[in-house]
Amino acid sequence: MNGVTLTDLGLLLPELILLGAALVLLLTAHRTRTTSVPTVVTLLAAAAALWVTGRVSPDAAENGFGGMLVADGYARFFRLLSAAGLAVVTLFADRRLRETDIPRPEFQTLLLLASVGMMLAASSADLLPLYLALELITICAYVLVGIRVERPHANEAAIKYFLSGSFASALMLLGISLIYGLTGTTTFDGIATALTAAPEGASPLLVGGIGLVVGGLAFKVAAVPFHAWAPDTYQGASAPVAAFLAAGSKAAGLAALGRVVVTALGPESQTTATMLVALAGLSVVLGSLVAAAQTDMKRLLAYSSIAHAGFALMGVASGTKEGAAATMTYAAFYVFMTLGAFGMVIALGERGERVDGYRGLAAQRPGAAATMLLFLLALTGIPLTAGFTAKFSVIRSAVGAGRIELAVLAVLASVVAAFVYMRVAVGMYMKEPTEPVPARFAPAVKLALAVAAGMTLAGGIFPGLLDSWTVSP
Amino acid sequence: MNEYIGIVAGILLAGGITASMLILSSVLGKKNPTPEKLEPFECGKEPFSLPMGKMAVSFYLTAILFILFDVEVIFLYPWAIVYRELGMLGLVEVCVFVGILMIGFVYAWANGALEWAGQCSTGQRSTGQPRRD
Repeated sequence: MNGVTLTDLGLLLPELILLGAALVLLLTAHRTRTTSVPTVVTLLAAAAALWVTGRVSPDAAENGFGGMLVADGYARFFRLLSAAGLAVVTLFADRRLRETDIPRPEFQTLLLLASVGMMLAASSADLLPLYLALELITICAYVLVGIRVERPHANEAAIKYFLSGSFASALMLLGISLIYGLTGTTTFDGIATALTAAPEGASPLLVGGIGLVVGGLAFKVAAVPFHAWAPDTYQGASAPVAAFLAAGSKAAGLAALGRVVVTALGPESQTTATMLVALAGLSVVLGSLVAAAQTDMKRLLAYSSIAHAGFALMGVASGTKEGAAATMTYAAFYVFMTLGAFGMVIALGERGERVDGYRGLAAQRPGAAATMLLFLLALTGIPLTAGFTAKFSVIRSAVGAGRIELAVLAVLASVVAAFVYMRVAVGMYMKEPTEPVPARFAPAVKLALAVAAGMTLAGGIFPGLLDSWTVSP
Repeated sequence: MNEYIGIVAGILLAGGITASMLILSSVLGKKNPTPEKLEPFECGKEPFSLPMGKMAVSFYLTAILFILFDVEVIFLYPWAIVYRELGMLGLVEVCVFVGILMIGFVYAWANGALEWAGQCSTGQRSTGQPRRD
């Protein structure tokens, strides 16, 4: 009988740190409701998790918990990304939490637990822990979306997210059970071995199982046609929660998808590639086109995030290790770009949530307008920003895999997306201000914006910035 | 295939009994329709009404707190059966598990989920803390 050993727990140290912080916040919640303690504890925990994870070499790979979890370079990369995203969102949310009646310890506890889920999703080497990790993320996210109970919009967003999310989870479980039925195992390595050894090609049942699992994961990254929840949820949720969903939850979905497709379903790469190419193509086109019609900034960023999910999937769709690494690069840079754009929405308050609220911002606050312009250029994919590096790497991997039509589609969609983002930029620089000068940004928000802007610029100027970190599974 | 015969027999038996009940009562039963009886659900309550007034959520809170202990028992029971084989390690693991569950319970307790008085009528917390909503 194999019990859990201390070595196993050591692999989970970053997760345990965040979990411990969450439990402490829960225990002390009734005393810290009106203080900054939850924010500080979360930041300390995120910093500790970053430090502990960063100390491990990217080339190390260890199995734990009977092969259910693996701590390799891939997991390390997404653990760092989750912890960084958690810290940035916490900094953004600080002012908003102080001004509104969102219960602070509960908010931070849920963020911490969702981040634990993201880290576990990246290090799962078995379908069942993966499912549990994804559920941990989404159940925390349901509550976070509806955390402003007195707002009907937030309640509506939460219930829509909950209903569609539960449905997607149920379908994914069905897919897992089909794959288990056909291969007799749920470990990724075991599934890959069983699929390689199978005498005949893909049976319809296997294709169905793979389709359900890929579809369930596509729901988490909000890829078309599993995207319908995203715009309503982002719009109804408060801006820091929307930022967390757009950045962290999407990165975790991509992490899970990457590992499942490359390791477990590697022998069936033909089947998964067809599905992923369809998802990616639909997402880039629909996300970019519909974003052009939005007047609500959070909705616009939601459709933008759908389009970016499509771009990120192009890497995994090629089915190669290089493709998976391209998706990792994309996920990392996208997290900082989108967090930056959402950070500006949060910093500007009510005004920032409308697309026409950005009119004349350059005349009123040149620094803020320039920072927003940087994030908009990055989201468009202009050279010298991280957005270009990210788009270049996924399009190159698509061309390398012989998916020329997907690459052409992606470039065309980028042109449409440029119109979307430049509409905001033109409003900032070429229109007269119609609203009073926004209040000064809080220091925490400035710090978080600086981190996001720094990563966005560094990724563009040094395209190889993450090359030694992106270790595909 | 043989092991599935029991399931098939179960389905047939259940379906047969249900069907025969419905058919027999519609053939043999007396018919005295009144408007109330023709409603989709005849249960003594208005089938359709507008949601008027507020509902006390205390019942739901209690039900949700019950899940804590429910989950605990689900895991404690199998553990109790193999208690000797798992030994010290099992005991520690179960203590950690129960500890985490109890943190949830302490949270609910400290935040007034068990205070019935005052909560039902006004929605105010009776612990003297500022309202969160």
